[in-house]
Amino acid sequence: MYGEGNTFEGIKNDGLAQEDPIQLSAFEARIDRGEKIEPTDWMPQLYRKQLIRMIEQHAHSEIIGALPEGTWITRAPGFRRKLALMAKVQDEVGHAQLLYSAAETLGKSREEMITDLLSGKSKYSNIFNYPAFTWADSCFISWLVDAGAIVNQLANSKGSYGPYCRALERICAEESFHLKYGHHCVIYLAAGTAKQRAMFQEALNRWWPPMMHFFGPADKISAHTEVLMKWKVKMSSNDDMRNQFLDMYVPKIWELGFTIPDPKLKKNIATGRWEYTEPDWEEFKRVINGDGPCNKERLEVRRIAEERGRWVRDALRSPKATYVSPLA
Amino acid sequence: MNNLALKELLYKIADDQLILGHRNSEWTGFGPLLEEDIAFSSMAQDKIGQSQALYTLLHQLGEQQPDTLAFMRNANQFHNCILVELPNGEYDFSLIRHFLFDTAEAMRFELLSSSSYQPLAELARKVRSELRYHTLHANIWMKQLGSATEESIQRLQRSLEFALPYALGMFEKSPYESDLIAQGIFEGEEALAVRWKKKVEDILQQTSLHLPEWKILTPVLGGRVGDHSEHLQPLLDEMSEVFKIDPQAEW
Amino acid sequence: MASIDPRVNRLPEIGKPGLIQPKAPLDQLGTFEVFVQPKEGKPFQHEGSVHAPDTEMAFVLAKETFTRRFTCSSLYVVDTRDVYVSPITEGDRNVYELIHDAAANDHEKYTFEIYHLNKRGKQHTHAGTVSASSHEGAMAKAKQQFNSDKIIYNIWSIRTDTIRFTAAEEMDLWLTLPEKKFRDAADYKGGEKLKEFLKKTNHA
Repeated sequence: MYGEGNTFEGIKNDGLAQEDPIQLSAFEARIDRGEKIEPTDWMPQLYRKQLIRMIEQHAHSEIIGALPEGTWITRAPGFRRKLALMAKVQDEVGHAQLLYSAAETLGKSREEMITDLLSGKSKYSNIFNYPAFTWADSCFISWLVDAGAIVNQLANSKGSYGPYCRALERICAEESFHLKYGHHCVIYLAAGTAKQRAMFQEALNRWWPPMMHFFGPADKISAHTEVLMKWKVKMSSNDDMRNQFLDMYVPKIWELGFTIPDPKLKKNIATGRWEYTEPDWEEFKRVINGDGPCNKERLEVRRIAEERGRWVRDALRSPKATYVSPLA
Repeated sequence: MNNLALKELLYKIADDQLILGHRNSEWTGFGPLLEEDIAFSSMAQDKIGQSQALYTLLHQLGEQQPDTLAFMRNANQFHNCILVELPNGEYDFSLIRHFLFDTAEAMRFELLSSSSYQPLAELARKVRSELRYHTLHANIWMKQLGSATEESIQRLQRSLEFALPYALGMFEKSPYESDLIAQGIFEGEEALAVRWKKKVEDILQQTSLHLPEWKILTPVLGGRVGDHSEHLQPLLDEMSEVFKIDPQAEW
Repeated sequence: MASIDPRVNRLPEIGKPGLIQPKAPLDQLGTFEVFVQPKEGKPFQHEGSVHAPDTEMAFVLAKETFTRRFTCSSLYVVDTRDVYVSPITEGDRNVYELIHDAAANDHEKYTFEIYHLNKRGKQHTHAGTVSASSHEGAMAKAKQQFNSDKIIYNIWSIRTDTIRFTAAEEMDLWLTLPEKKFRDAADYKGGEKLKEFLKKTNHA
């Protein structure tokens, strides 16, 4: 589950003047032809760096993203939900596994990536720094955060880097289960008792602001990433993805009789764009920089998990092993 | 066919699977390696699925719905062995329990696949293939960690010694043991325990772990008659927290 | 840690909060490539990689990492270091143009599994098995046997005896996989419930 919120910083020096112009033009021609880049191909340093950054953040978002929903894994009501939630959270761990491997093909080891996650050097989707207070929060995440992630990931799966596209294809296929499962849960809450309905309405009130943050800052204030768009690293603008998400899911939320906590939210028929209260981008920045309700807990849980597993991994390490990155 | 005997058998197996599946699911997202996190979660899901299938058999015999059986009973109504309700501890204990339990479970379902109670025999034949993976997984981990570093061997040894008396509690006899055997429903706990010990000895011999003599171990009993440790009721309370907000509601 | 997640509340205290020990090299172990046959009769294809201490464990870990959905009839893994990789081509350039022709005196000591990349961005799929004495020889043999007018962009060669295959008695590992519907989107049809709900609320 990943939105593009905090992927790209403004590129101050793209370093393109230092790249071999012949190689660079062959590389760009390949992308223009719609052919994918594979790990052994020549690529500009900037492309490699930005892809590692993006895929790594995506991977971290999966492993951290397993935690808010994991809050309810031991409490899911009934066999059907219990099995589904276990499988759903497992999938998030699985997505992290796939994405770390894809990032590794670009030359950064999983060891380095996990170290950078724990130290706070690299980021993950902001939305997972919010708590899942009730069962209904976990349903919100399964349905709508995953829905948002699918919008982003489907766009990215048309990107230029082969290993990332392959991972995303598999991930999107698995997330269609998450989306359906999440929607199913919410329909049952909507059609359920007054208490159940209230539970979801409260969850929706809590999660709507971070959901609006999910796709990243408004285009008018976000970093310019033209070269990344040209290289098919970034596939869609933040506002376009947000708009697409609202287009697809606001009607479904309304259909269930819930109120979205934004009085200004409406679709402008003339422009085809959604209008909404400007999300609080200062809060967004504050949370990215560590000051959200759960940042500390999320990283501390990961740190403890890694520490607890250390003796296991130490015992498995063989003197004959050498590091190689995955092939594709 | 003695329904009481059959039900008692189904309850204890189903409760074992449910409680251990639940315990093992607590590791999801906290595992020592991503790949192992995924594998361990799958096996937990298998166990929950198996328990659901067994509760469904019970429902067909006139008991309540599977969800009611799993989420509405109190600890003293559960028939699982105490081994499965113990907290996860560190990965060494979770692995040792996984190995001791699944070795027995694979053999139990092997025996049940020729049960005279057809629905159970059919289920057992399917479950067998899932348990083949569980034992493959358990055995390789025992072999790896049981003969690797000083720390891993020590940890496993300690957990093994702690877990063994509880593991022997898996074979606590049912009051209907002779009925089950006579009617060809199940060959009985004693037959199972004999096979299990042999297999455990065989795997541990391939490690640096030391198996205490069986005769000095005292089985921890009581689980099968609802006499549990202090750990089960809190587990059940947590598991049913949402369900019990409104047991009539559909979630 | 005081958390709303009961599992987190049960985590032990270990080390110092916030104190990060950088991971040692190989903390995540070696790298293994994973190949899956989705159905009997279909070719194996590359699905990805796992980190593991050896091929045996890689096999066990790969099974749930890559085959917990849909169908699977067989799986194998190989140490990434045991995969020999050809150059990669683009556009209308067939990579077999870069492969030498087979030498007449290849002693054919081993068999090799040959994988093709038919399109950039797709997975490598199994093209067939050849006998040769080296990877270079295997690629030359592959050129003789599997090269056609179809453009191939990349070739992998894997010596068969380095692969951890699914053993005959393990073939039933995936027996119940199609029944695990709870991992499948198709099992969560909310349409009826939704319709019923809408009908009720419209009346109210």
